[in-house]
Amino acid sequence: MQHTFSSPDGPIEVTLGKDDGAFALAGHRAILIGDGRLRVTLGDGRIMFGHVAKVGDVWWVALGGHTYRWERMEAGASAGGNEGGLIAPMPGKVLQVLVKVGHTVEAGQALMVLEAMKMEHRIVAPSDGIVTMIHFADGDQVEQGASLLEIEAESE
Amino acid sequence: MIAKVLVANRGEIACRILRACQEAEIETVAVCAPNDLESMFVEMADEVVVLRGDSIGETYLDHTQIIQAALDTGAHAIHPGFGFLSERADVARAVVDAGLVWVGPRAEAIEQMGDKMTARQTMRKAGVPVIPGEEVESIDEDQAMLELEEASTRVGYPLLLKASSGGGGKGMRAVTNPSEFHEAARAARREAVAAFGDGRIYIERLLSGSKHVEIQVLADSHGTTIHLGERECSVQRRHQKVFEEAPCATLTPELRDAMGDAAVAAAEAVAYEGAGTVEFLLAPSGEFFFLEMNTRIQVEHPVTELVTGVDIVREQLRIASGAPMSCGSLNLRGHAIEVRLYAEDAANNFLPAIGPLAVFQPPQGPGIRLDTGVREGDNVTPNYDPMLAKLIVWAPSRVEALQRMRRALDEFVILGTTTNIRFLRELCDVQAVIEGTTTTTTIDDTWPNGWQPSENQSIEEASLLMAAMGETLGLHRVHRTGGEVSGSTGPPSPFATLQRRYP
Repeated sequence: MQHTFSSPDGPIEVTLGKDDGAFALAGHRAILIGDGRLRVTLGDGRIMFGHVAKVGDVWWVALGGHTYRWERMEAGASAGGNEGGLIAPMPGKVLQVLVKVGHTVEAGQALMVLEAMKMEHRIVAPSDGIVTMIHFADGDQVEQGASLLEIEAESE
Repeated sequence: MIAKVLVANRGEIACRILRACQEAEIETVAVCAPNDLESMFVEMADEVVVLRGDSIGETYLDHTQIIQAALDTGAHAIHPGFGFLSERADVARAVVDAGLVWVGPRAEAIEQMGDKMTARQTMRKAGVPVIPGEEVESIDEDQAMLELEEASTRVGYPLLLKASSGGGGKGMRAVTNPSEFHEAARAARREAVAAFGDGRIYIERLLSGSKHVEIQVLADSHGTTIHLGERECSVQRRHQKVFEEAPCATLTPELRDAMGDAAVAAAEAVAYEGAGTVEFLLAPSGEFFFLEMNTRIQVEHPVTELVTGVDIVREQLRIASGAPMSCGSLNLRGHAIEVRLYAEDAANNFLPAIGPLAVFQPPQGPGIRLDTGVREGDNVTPNYDPMLAKLIVWAPSRVEALQRMRRALDEFVILGTTTNIRFLRELCDVQAVIEGTTTTTTIDDTWPNGWQPSENQSIEEASLLMAAMGETLGLHRVHRTGGEVSGSTGPPSPFATLQRRYP
């Protein structure tokens, strides 16, 4: 009963234990009480009720007023980041491309202006670097998750 | 007499109006875009007319098609809700010209208030104080930019650029540094042209540390204009309200009277009829300034309803039918708070989110009202505004209302789409919110580098346990996963043992 989930800090491997009819992890225990609801006994003895639901490869979990999303990874798969690539956060339209290939950009610099849901969103450089590729032009429609442009980090 | 109303809107506010009509024993017609056929509001109406077209412009903004739908179905009146056609004077006029009743103020009043520059001028004449600033009327891009730049030096920094036809934070930019002015003005004009087809913008002094306090007014055709007290809506992100309450925690009865009188004067200056809201900025000095008048029902109207006992939408219908309003004198009771639940990533600059509402389980119990247009199993799409619901609580005191809101948000479960629930919950613990001293910059002041959810290691660990259990037990195979139901966990169907057979 081993599963791997992705997180911003890298893959998390989870091996479930069994404890007196309940599943256990890191001192916490949980049992299924039906219809996606689980009864959780935390390590400190507190009892809580939570919900889980799976959409695509993502497990959504609600517990104690918090919501988490854990994306399941096939065992052995890599973290699958998108090094240097900048991803469209929303489906929308490219209003303006503010840089050209070969430009040196600073972290936080606006690279592209997208319009989604009638609001403008700026795509900013995550780090200093050089623009190596621009995949869209002014007026283009982009899908959510589309790679917009690519930046190569400057070597010190 | 209005016996049948067409609701020219969608989502949450369409549901609100359809329910009011049903309670008033008025027949209803919904209009919907083809991609909205399965939305909740459509099911609430007696009849539905499916609009032709794909975009919002071809459907909910196509008043010709909507007026024809009203005529075809024999509706007597059109209720525009908020957004879409609600503040379009030309549409109000076209509706009346078609022999129908417009549930809202006369076209002239919408015009006078809808153009923010004209409104500022009208209010100055009526003796209602306006924010120091300048209007720029030029339409030509280069000329306007030139005049704006000049005006900016006279108004002084920090300043606010606003679209004359604006609303909802669109076409609005705060500028603190003259070097940013040019880019900000161009962006504001672009956004204004895209959203309203009118790029004219004006400049206001940015009054920081101010509260956003608005007065609900009602006026009928029998010469009565009253106010229903204030709402405080200071807590905003991207110039959009997220947390609203009534009454305002720091308003004295004297100030309430003064602002109420100013709001009534503002409404009377344009011979207003129906429900409207006069928005003010309340400076720390106790001075207040007219911001704008919203000539329609407002998103946050429920908090006023809960503390005054007035059903504002029902009054709108009553006034539109020519009857006098039914409200007595203002009598505030207890405290109400509303939060707006958005499908958005509060931890990532409040970016809109999409996805299925695999689980949508609202809180219940005393003092809780939920105004929503979605239900479990629906999909949040990029086609429309990402507001999912308004959660409103009432309690005898402000302290108890805030406690009730915390409890309600903790109970609320939405899975499958990223929402701002956790952000709203943590907002309830912010000192300024607890003290009632919020201003329009509270969110930025509290989280200057953007909000991040508080960490809770044991809850997070337990959530991993739950996700792993879900995978191990194959819970997704017996569950709603965004519409893909591949098994049933419901109780045995009574029809399985039914002896009667229908042909």
